[in-house]
Amino acid sequence: MTYLSFFNSEVLAIFRRKQDAVNALVFFLLVITLFPLGVSPSKEFLQPAAGGIIWCAVALAILMSVEGMFKEDYNDGSLEQLVVSGLYLPVLILLKLVVQWCAVMLPLLILMPILSQMLFINWEILWVLILTLIIGSPALFLIGTIGAALTVSLRRGAVLMLLIILPFYLPVIIFSTGAIGAAQVGQPYNGQLAILAAISLMTLTLSPIMAAVSIKASVN
Amino acid sequence: MHSNLDLSISNLFIERSERVLCENFSCLIKAGEVARIMGENGAGKSTLLKIIAGILQPLEGKILFAGEDISFHRDMLQKHLLYLGHHAGIKSVFSVAENLKWYCPNKDIDAIEEALAIVGLAGYSDSPAHQLSAGQQRRIALARLWLTDKKIWLLDEPFTALDVKGVSVLEGKIKQHTNNGGMVILTTHQSLSDALCVKEIQLVS
Amino acid sequence: MNWIWFHKLGSPKWFFQWANKWSKFAFVIGVLMLSIGIVWGLGFAPADYQQGNSFRIIYIHVPTAILAQSCYLGLGVAGLVSLVWRMKMAPVFIKAVAPLGAVMALIALLSGAIWGKPTWGAWWVWDARLTSVLILFLLYMGVIAIQNSLDDLQLADKAVAVISVVGLINLPIIKYSVEWWNTLHQPATFSVTEAPAMPMAMWLPLLLSTLGMYGFIAAVAMWRMQTEVLIREHRSNWVKKEILDNGI
Repeated sequence: MTYLSFFNSEVLAIFRRKQDAVNALVFFLLVITLFPLGVSPSKEFLQPAAGGIIWCAVALAILMSVEGMFKEDYNDGSLEQLVVSGLYLPVLILLKLVVQWCAVMLPLLILMPILSQMLFINWEILWVLILTLIIGSPALFLIGTIGAALTVSLRRGAVLMLLIILPFYLPVIIFSTGAIGAAQVGQPYNGQLAILAAISLMTLTLSPIMAAVSIKASVN
Repeated sequence: MHSNLDLSISNLFIERSERVLCENFSCLIKAGEVARIMGENGAGKSTLLKIIAGILQPLEGKILFAGEDISFHRDMLQKHLLYLGHHAGIKSVFSVAENLKWYCPNKDIDAIEEALAIVGLAGYSDSPAHQLSAGQQRRIALARLWLTDKKIWLLDEPFTALDVKGVSVLEGKIKQHTNNGGMVILTTHQSLSDALCVKEIQLVS
Repeated sequence: MNWIWFHKLGSPKWFFQWANKWSKFAFVIGVLMLSIGIVWGLGFAPADYQQGNSFRIIYIHVPTAILAQSCYLGLGVAGLVSLVWRMKMAPVFIKAVAPLGAVMALIALLSGAIWGKPTWGAWWVWDARLTSVLILFLLYMGVIAIQNSLDDLQLADKAVAVISVVGLINLPIIKYSVEWWNTLHQPATFSVTEAPAMPMAMWLPLLLSTLGMYGFIAAVAMWRMQTEVLIREHRSNWVKKEILDNGI
């Protein structure tokens, strides 16, 4: 096995499991729908709240999709084989993550213009929203991977994973919605974007290694 | 290449779930040998294989491979290693052939089909792996042995799900591998043929 | 610097005997300081000219909040020690201290609410400090949850170490982001930590109760760790001897 062959096989696997990516998207849409239905469908409520609603839904959707990232591999024994493959496990995890990110985020980003109409978002704000999603979502995926790796050996670890990982999502959500809020009142938002980028980069260095440690401890 | 693949284990302390399985275990396995780990059920045979493979870490002890100390990082050994454990390691989302390509990406489809024919799965190469029985999936994993270039084989109960013919085919392959300078370490409940010249290693607790 | 004491503490047996001496000392000093501090603060310190007597809850709220944070720092450091130096006592520390930190955070939240009612007219306000403590409490619950959910001891130890280290690194980011968020959404109100030029009669009992709380928690932590050590090392001879000689 090589890194390239592993990457290709992950892409193939995602194509075979399209339903998983679709599920994440449908879940995302459902959460978004909760807000107009549960609170108010009026423009006065939805327009200022839109950034926050989308980001909360994105955070939950990413958590749901990342949670099962290693489960199947753990159950069929291929995770164990990755550990003994002689390849560097953090890099393998990162490659898997890249494929997962593309599978979940690209359709989501394509959906954004449609959503902007549903939530009364202006075009300029939409652009900021998309920027925050591109810069901030890697952090969510990376942190989520640590949770997925820690709970991989548990049969019903989904709720536990949500429990331990959600607090770490708060800074990303705060700064993303902060950037969108600043844009909505015409204030500069570069600072928030920079912090988001910093958080994503920091998790990039930390997460694959931590996830690898957790996987090695779980695979026995 | 021949003589430099010796595996030396010294003073291993094996513990699993708070039970001490084996203390002060030492052995030397040379290239070209077939080593069989002997012991009762639960004695730690699979655990020992996992420790050598790098899935588990022993509490104490040293492992040397080709003269290098690999006690903390097994990468050097893993690059030469093929491990067949309790799980088949076959992904249900791929076809049979794709699974084998996952393990040996540099082998072409002809080699894969040939290997499948040897393990009795001729014609299954395009079948989705999840359609095969557990025994058949184990045989897919065994097919790796005919496709791999790795020199060190760790086989945990490789003869399960094999009929008499399958057992002799596998034994033949093991013999061929060790004749070419490879090393095989295995556990099994099966009695092995004398032609293999098996070196028996006892796990005493 | 001589690090031998650090490595010695890493041995369960050595720690057990060390803790026998020091836990009693920490407990006595801790309870003493704590009672003096709290009684002085609640009863005798001068009333604040703005808030009257309701501010007295600060003598419980601040020490518990400081302890909640310190314990989390401790968890993070222990996690790092566990992962890097593989010290046996580090996961024991995490397991012992996590519930203590959670209780501290909870008391800080409740006392914060008790303070909030007369001061701001509400049982809860989303001010930066209280929100941070709430998140801290949730982080603790996560550590405790993962400890209890994983049966395999080695995996559980690794898992809490990983989550503690991740938490330690993320904690400053979370705190900073909550403060930043708070400045956007809340006009500057009287902040809990900004005790503006407190006269000595006010901050001395505060100091005492904080130090006392440290001592008290240290003692309880040591006892919890001792218990955990006995459980983990139950097969070794020194434990058997200890139980036979001294009872449980």
